[in-house]
Amino acid sequence: MLKAEQLCKTYRRNADSVQVLNGISLTVRDGEFLSIVGASGSGKSTLLHVLGTLDSPDSGTISVDGKRIDNISNRERDRIRNATFGYVFQFYHLLPELSAYDNALMPAYISESFFGWMKNRKQWRKRVDELFERVGLSHRTTHKPRELSGGEMQRCAIARALLQRPRVVLADEPTGNLDTEKGNEIMSLLHDLNRHDGVTIVMVTHNLEMAATTHRTIRISSGRIAEEKGPTFRPRILSAVS
Amino acid sequence: MYKFLLCLKYLRTRYLAFVCIISIMLGVATLIVVNSVMSGFSNKLKDRLRGVLADVIVETDHFGGFDLHPDLLEDRIRRSPAGKYVDTIAPSVEVVGTVQFQFRGMNIVKPIKLLGVDPVRQTKVGGFGNYLTRQKVLPAPSFELTSEALQLFDKNVRLESMLEPPPPPVSSTAKKDSDFLGPEPVLIDDPKAIPLPPVPDANLPEFQDPKPIGIIVGHSLAHFRYKNPDTGVIEEVPGLRPGDHVMIATLAANEMRPVWGTYVVTDYFKSEMSEYDSQFIYMDLPDLQRLRKMGDRVTHLQIKVTDDCPKGYMFVKPNVSNEIQKLFGKFEARAATWEDHQGPLLAAIDIERGILNLLLFMIVGVAGFSILAIFTMIVSEKIRDIGILKSLGASNHGVMGIFVWYAFLLGIVGCAAGTAMGLGITENINEIETFVNEQTGQQLFDRSVYYFDKIPTNIEVSTVLIVNAGALLVAVMSSFLPAFRAARLRPIQALRFE
Repeated sequence: MLKAEQLCKTYRRNADSVQVLNGISLTVRDGEFLSIVGASGSGKSTLLHVLGTLDSPDSGTISVDGKRIDNISNRERDRIRNATFGYVFQFYHLLPELSAYDNALMPAYISESFFGWMKNRKQWRKRVDELFERVGLSHRTTHKPRELSGGEMQRCAIARALLQRPRVVLADEPTGNLDTEKGNEIMSLLHDLNRHDGVTIVMVTHNLEMAATTHRTIRISSGRIAEEKGPTFRPRILSAVS
Repeated sequence: MYKFLLCLKYLRTRYLAFVCIISIMLGVATLIVVNSVMSGFSNKLKDRLRGVLADVIVETDHFGGFDLHPDLLEDRIRRSPAGKYVDTIAPSVEVVGTVQFQFRGMNIVKPIKLLGVDPVRQTKVGGFGNYLTRQKVLPAPSFELTSEALQLFDKNVRLESMLEPPPPPVSSTAKKDSDFLGPEPVLIDDPKAIPLPPVPDANLPEFQDPKPIGIIVGHSLAHFRYKNPDTGVIEEVPGLRPGDHVMIATLAANEMRPVWGTYVVTDYFKSEMSEYDSQFIYMDLPDLQRLRKMGDRVTHLQIKVTDDCPKGYMFVKPNVSNEIQKLFGKFEARAATWEDHQGPLLAAIDIERGILNLLLFMIVGVAGFSILAIFTMIVSEKIRDIGILKSLGASNHGVMGIFVWYAFLLGIVGCAAGTAMGLGITENINEIETFVNEQTGQQLFDRSVYYFDKIPTNIEVSTVLIVNAGALLVAVMSSFLPAFRAARLRPIQALRFE
């Protein structure tokens, strides 16, 4: 369970200061598919980054399963970025020199030392093969990002986000750079992952139709939660497990 | 793990990196070539400087020579604490003089240094016989006229000599020096000690029908070098051939009075040290002693020390020379090693090499700055990738490591290529020089300046290793700043960078 309380964040540039987050509190339950909508500059992307430790809040706390993650050491923070969260970005953000396969394996390359990698590489490769199968990219593993289409790059990025079996996938406008058709394909993939694999997803989007298909939608305006729809999500499977 | 992966990927895909590799390569190659050539020159020059010098040289400022008979001097040295290290002692006389001869109708007079030596002993202490160009009669060279010289010798030449001998030298006052050690000297003017040479008479047939006396002339003294205007090649024309006669004039031992005689060239002396080759004329020790009317006196003792004498790099045998110095009065004689004699020159070679290295290492410094510049560019180009890596959990150290390892890899590749190139050039430097010569008509290595017909090289493994280590260090150090900048980037800043 990802929980944020009273998050505040102000960007200062010279004399101007913009309060991007103005006391946002939010709870994401395991297995939930949450969407965040809002006008440009409303702070939704910043909220996502702060939740995922890519940015730090000025005040307020964030915790995963009751353990705070906003005031931890760099080392722990790197671990959390690597294994607790998976990121999907609007511009895919794949490394251009590496093949789709190596890109998806990057979190493992980062978490493993040289010898650790040598020892565990078979498991990792198996895991990546499964994920590529799951996101539908098995036929293009050796291609470099520039040889892939936008949809394929986003599938690769999703595979990378899922590699370490993260607690939460944070998706920043994952369909923002794709046409409607490809965008819908990606959305159905995310829904599928959420429904069948129990992946928790927090997604920022401009597309209200897509947002409507998720369990719960939060609208952000001027750094505050302006409106909340849902939840349509009943965490029945997980409550049965726990 | 990702560090190595990315380093290798970047190495293979970044063309900018080749600029770094090439600048390191050129720096390393230049340093290796220059050091090898400098070291070759320096070794060769040291050999040359050493030339005919013995390990330890004892000389007196007294123009008439030591007061003691050379055998007594030798005895005194052998009985001293340094004696066990003394292998051979060669007495000699060195004196300034002039030589005069005819060349194509011209009357040539040149200043010379006249050396009276015992050829066999001199060969033992200073390799004298090794430098003779005509006779290959080692280990016993001589001043006897060679068959070649005898054949060319013009029997009609009147061999003249200063006929009237001056009185034999009186002993100096050096023996009264309070520093004087050793046994009571036996003076040369004591008739019981050494008989004076027979006083030659002008009418004696010995001088009317004299036997030609051989001398050995420095190669450059006997040859004229000029540039052939047609071919541009330096050519040597012999001004003195074996069998030619010369007049040699010098000063008598005991008073300011010229003495001269006619001698016949038997051989050339070629040590390739221009100072020696253009000034030295050797003659048999008794001949010079007789010319200068100095009895059995000598002015120099050349000492070869034994092989088991402890040696060092520079100023090798100070102890032997110090011990020998103690045997003589402060002003009576000076004992010094050959390095003492050539000390300033030897030091100059080393200083020159040190400064050249310092300057050339700046080439590697320039390579370092090109790495700094290029890495700053690569980091700028890779800001987004750095953001991605950080969002995937890469640590600051890890990101820094990518770039430092990358620089290290570039350094390794550059050093390897540079070492290969440097060694290749050094090995083939003479061929390269010939090639450049043919293509441009410019002579890079003027053989008329040096007496080497080849560019000497000496590859020192330690120098190659130090150059490589230095270049690697510079490569890694200059990557620190850009790498540090990369490490400090916050992922959000980096990801927003489009």
